[in-house]
Order: sequence, then C-alpha cells, then structure tokens
Amino acid sequence: MLSSDGIALFVILFIVFVFLGFYGARFRRGDLRGLNEWGLGGQRMGPWLLWVLVGADLYTAYTFVAIPSGVYGAGALYFYAVPYVALTFAIAVVTMPRLWVVSRNRGYITAVDFVKDRFNSRNLALAVALTGVVAELPYIALQIVGMQSVLTVMLLGVANVKTVTEVALIVAFIILAIFTFTSGLRGAALGAIMKDVLIFGSVIAVIVVVLVNWGGFTTAFANAPASYADLPSISIPKFWSLFFGSALALYLYPHAINGCLSASDKKSLRLSQALLPIYGVGLAMLALFGILLYGIPAALSIVKTSANGALTVPAIIITVLPGWGAGIALLAVFIGGLVPAAIMAIAAANLLTRNVVKEIYPKITPHGETQAAKWISAAVKFVALAFVFTVSTTYAVQLQLLGGVLIAQTLPAVFLGLYTRWLDGKALTVGWAVGIISGIYLVLDTNKFGILISSLFNTPFGYLYIAILALGLNFLVAVVGTAVVRITRFHREGIIPEEDLRRVRTGSPSAAVSTPITPISAASTGEAASD
Amino acid sequence: MAVRGWQVAAAVFLLIPFVVYLSVPSYNMVDPKFYGLPFFYWYQTLWLVLSGILFGLAAWLINRGE
Repeated sequence: MLSSDGIALFVILFIVFVFLGFYGARFRRGDLRGLNEWGLGGQRMGPWLLWVLVGADLYTAYTFVAIPSGVYGAGALYFYAVPYVALTFAIAVVTMPRLWVVSRNRGYITAVDFVKDRFNSRNLALAVALTGVVAELPYIALQIVGMQSVLTVMLLGVANVKTVTEVALIVAFIILAIFTFTSGLRGAALGAIMKDVLIFGSVIAVIVVVLVNWGGFTTAFANAPASYADLPSISIPKFWSLFFGSALALYLYPHAINGCLSASDKKSLRLSQALLPIYGVGLAMLALFGILLYGIPAALSIVKTSANGALTVPAIIITVLPGWGAGIALLAVFIGGLVPAAIMAIAAANLLTRNVVKEIYPKITPHGETQAAKWISAAVKFVALAFVFTVSTTYAVQLQLLGGVLIAQTLPAVFLGLYTRWLDGKALTVGWAVGIISGIYLVLDTNKFGILISSLFNTPFGYLYIAILALGLNFLVAVVGTAVVRITRFHREGIIPEEDLRRVRTGSPSAAVSTPITPISAASTGEAASD
Repeated sequence: MAVRGWQVAAAVFLLIPFVVYLSVPSYNMVDPKFYGLPFFYWYQTLWLVLSGILFGLAAWLINRGE
C-alpha cells in the first residue's frame, strides 16, 4: 500500500487537476454555447497545445496498461506499439491538414460531416458515425481499466479493495463529467498539459532509479524468458501487420480527428503532428517496463499474485520510488487515463450529436446541439464505466483491438475521400458493410467463437491483424462497386467543390453558417487567411 | 500538375521510416546491445527520434511550398 505522504500528494495533485479542469472554461474564453466552442475548444489551439492535446492520445491507458502488460506477458511482439506511433504521424501529416482545410471552409465539426457531403450519401455518413462511436467505447473502457489498476496497487492490503476502488472510480468520473460539462475540450487541454509533464517526469525517474539501483536491462533480460530478447520468426507477420494496421487506424478515431480539427491553423497542425514521434520515446520506455518488471522481484510478485498484467506499471512505481514520488507518479498514470477518457467522450458526443441526433431532428438549435452533446458525453462515460464493472479486465483490452478492426473500415471513406472523388457513396457503404462483417467474423472464427483472446488470423502469409484483412476486402468491394455503379450510371456526385479541399477561402463564410452563435473568432480567421 | 522537387523530397522523407520499420528482419536481432538493451528494442526507439526529424523536415517543406 502507498505511504500516507504519497496518498496525500496524490489527493492534492488531483485537486489541482480538477481546478485546472474548471479553470479551462475561462481559458482563451469563448462562447461555450456553440458546439465548436465546447467540443473543439473554439478551434484556437496553437502548435504547442495541439502537440500536447493530440499527444494525450498517445499516453493513454493503452500505453500504461495494454502495451506494458503485453510486453510482460508476450515479449517483443508488443513492442509493435513503437513503429505504430512512429508511422501513424506520417499519415497524420498527409491527411489531417487537408481535412482541417475542408472543415474550416465548410464548418464541419466531425469527419462524418465531410463524408456526408463528399459522397452525397447519408447512409455512408451514418455508418461512419456509428462505427466511430462503437469503436470509441472500448477505448474509453480501457482508460478506466488503467485507472482501476492504479487504485488497486495504491490500496493493496486495504479491506474490500474492490469496493473502495469502484467507489473511488465513480467519484472521479462524476467530477470529470461535471468539469467536461462546463469546460469542454479546453478543460481537457489544460489537464493534458499537467498529465504530460508529470508522466514524463515519472517515466524518467523510474528508468533512472531502475538503471542505477536494480541492475537495469541486463538484470531484467537475464530474468525474463529468453525468447523476449527479439522476435521469434513466426511473429514477424503479426508484428508488422499489428503496427501497420494500428497506424492506419489511429487517425480515424473520433478523438484523434477531434483534436486535429481544434487546430488554429493548418501549418502548425502539420508541424505538430510531424514532431509527435519524438514524444513516442516515452511510450517506448513504458513498453520496456514490461521487461524491467522481471528485474524487480517485489513488483513482479504483486503482478504474479494478482495474475493481472495490467498492474505492471503501477507495481514498478510503488516498488522503486519513495512514497512521495510514487504518489506523484501514480497520480500521473491515473489522470493519464482520465484526460483521454474525457477527450474521447467529447469526441463521441460531437459525433452522436452532429451526425445522428441532428440527422433525426434537423431543426435543433446550435444551443440545443451543444446541450445534447454535453449530456451525451456524460452518458458515454458512465456507459464505459458500467462496461468495466461488468466485464473482465482482459476482455476490455481485447475489445480495444476489436475497436481497431472496426474503425479501420472507415478508412476508404475518410482518407481516400480526401484525395479522390471517384469513389461512389453506395459502393463505399457496401464496402464498409463487407469490412465490418468480415472483420467480426474473422475475429470470432480465430477465437473459435469463444472468449476474445486474439485479433490475428492465420493466413498463408502467417498470422495477420484482422483490421488489415477486412480493410483489404472493404477496399476491393468499394473499387469494384464504384466501377459498376459508374457504368450503370447510378453514381451520384459529391457536393464539395475541389477548391474547398485545397486552401482556406478568405473569410470562410460557410463556416459561420452552420455555427451561427459563434462565428469563428477574428483572430483565428486572420491566421487562416494568411495561410 | 507538374510534380515539384520539394514534393518529391517531402514524400521521400515521409516514406523512409516506413521502409525502415517494415524491414523487420533487418533489425530483429539481439546484438549489439546498448546498456543491456537488445538491438531490436533500442534501434526502434532511436528511429522514433529520426522519424520525428524526417517528418518535421517534410512538414517544413510542405508548409513552405504551399
């Protein structure tokens, strides 16, 4: 159990974090009644804030829990997270500024707004929107698993640990829901800065202490299974297909796109994304915690006794750092789950409000739209919380990989749509359906219709990540389908002029049309016009 | 639309890390180690920094060219 000074620091820093969350409403103040204000931070995020805000998607429970636990349990294979975070940003550099430009010109809040107009297809838009929301839920659930693992290690030895942990989580989520409600994305952005400073400090502190006092990597690898030193050749196809598929998928998630659309201008968006791989060095360190665990007997026994790989990082922290240091580092990991959960819930709420609720009630006012998004974001959080309390922890991690399989199926509509208008909306919708159905089927089949333990499928080329296989089918159907639709003259053109994708129109009048309450601020239009 | 020199350079900078990371057998080895860390791990971590530099150059070229 964490010492009392550690717990005191944890609580004090959590209060500071909550204060920042509420203060966010005043930060670069805007009219929070508009959805672009509440859900996109007024689209005034400069390069540094963007770096941290999108970087917040990098340091999530995926990094603290799923990856170290994978490296601990399976070795080098789970280091796929490193090439994944390197390559995904090349994709962002190419696609996100273009999406930002068309969104600024046409007042889009989500990628689905773009898809709907680009292919003039409401069905396709609805399909992409629902995929985004469904894929986001297990990702949020994973954040909660991460926070749960912090509390479990912190309160080790306390009677009724499970109940205490659940109560603490519920309290944390109520606070989170309230400040997201009042501050929107701005609150999350300030929290993200605090989280990243603390995380970086903690990771470096732990690595230094382990290298100096615990025999470093030499001891760790000597005690880890011998096969962990590199990749068994049978794992090579798994490795590259996992990192390649994940790299393709990240910027299709609503929270990643939401972060990019909050940028103040195209050029700082592009540069901030380009430099994010450097930020990934911390992720590589955290992945290595899965190996370092083997050199730290006390921490290893915590993980082994509980048979829960998710405890890897908190167990190392509490073992190697002094009480106060562990308090800070554990809080870092705790809000490291909380901040992304808030950003993801906001993104899912933007999507549900703008692309589902507004489709059903087109007469909703901008104020009503924002109110709906606020309530939906709160609801989404508690759905995810209920999900974690009802299904097992390992299940949540695997469902996140299944989320990757689903979200990858929106790639042809979103990414290819940015570069070509040739594809047809109906063909893309059928391709999407084929991708989703084949993806789910392959996942079920590879797990023999039992418990979800793998998202890899055995092909003649070895085991491959199902996201890529399903995406291949999806793409094939979309291309062949488009050819058929065009030959039979059933094709319907999109309604976005090519010019809107190339550069920001001066004044961007249409941006104001869809968000009449707050025309985009003079400062940001000025920046956009100069670009 | 003619392809410009800076566009080719930016594309090359963006693609190099893909070639590096997708050539898995080229770095799937234990030695040389770095402070006890096998080559497989430190090489990929080093390429995070190099990728950031290359992508940064590409972004700079595109930003200047547009």
